[in-house]
Amino acid sequence: MQSQDFHKLLEQRRTFFCYSGLLSEDVLSTFSGIVREQMSEMEDDAEITKRVFGIFVEQAQNVIRYSKDRIAEGGTGTVAISRAEDGFLIEAINPMDHENAEGLQKNLDELKAMDNKELRKAYKQRLREGPPEGSKGAGLGFIEMARKADHFEFDFVGSTELLFVFKVWIKETSS
Amino acid sequence: MQLEATNRTPAVSISATGIEMKGECYPEDITAFAEPVMEALRQQLESAESFHARIELYYFNSSSAKFLFDFFEELEEAAEEGKQIQIDWCYRADDSSMQEAGEDFEEDFEHAQYQIVEI
Repeated sequence: MQSQDFHKLLEQRRTFFCYSGLLSEDVLSTFSGIVREQMSEMEDDAEITKRVFGIFVEQAQNVIRYSKDRIAEGGTGTVAISRAEDGFLIEAINPMDHENAEGLQKNLDELKAMDNKELRKAYKQRLREGPPEGSKGAGLGFIEMARKADHFEFDFVGSTELLFVFKVWIKETSS
Repeated sequence: MQLEATNRTPAVSISATGIEMKGECYPEDITAFAEPVMEALRQQLESAESFHARIELYYFNSSSAKFLFDFFEELEEAAEEGKQIQIDWCYRADDSSMQEAGEDFEEDFEHAQYQIVEI
């Protein structure tokens, strides 16, 4: 792909923030201000800005903690925020181990089938019980994103190197 | 105990009579932030008869939700032992996510006085 095509591609998909490479907590600190600034310039509703920012932080921290490709204090992956038809799309892509994919898929399928009430219950239960085995945080990130999202999708792509793709939509019209 | 606010951590002030926490909460290292706060809280609660917590957060991430849960559990246990515990969860008038977050914690309190306060 030519450089200009890459530029055009981002423009076409209305991606206004995109980072690919090493993600660490330091990098996230640097981006936090930028993302908030971009969002508040684009969006008058502070509540939407806040939800997009919240999803962005959870997505970035998932890459930092769980990307298979580890460097120094973080992991490598891609995080992006784009304008969507009626709101915003927040994406994260990172390499992951085949052996962890099945468990994650099951977990996310369960979350996808839950309504808001069930998600709240799952959230509270996780808070009480503490993080599950293998979690490097509170084990709440995906539940939190599922609660905040208007819609989310995920995929596991590739056979030799497995990529985990997580996409979250926030609509402007929703409360 | 006094902690200055940073971009990612709230200002924290703990005295013999209460704690105030104000700002953003998505620390780079949640353990490094939470442990000293919890330790100071436990110390003060030991000798306190009554204790007032005022929490005013604008955003917290999911790792911090666990910290807040543990923090509130400590206060609820102190209330169960007979101490007077008052907690004010403060949110800005237009901030429905922090209002909802306050409501998420509400059901965990039986003995402590927990109020959700619009500011």
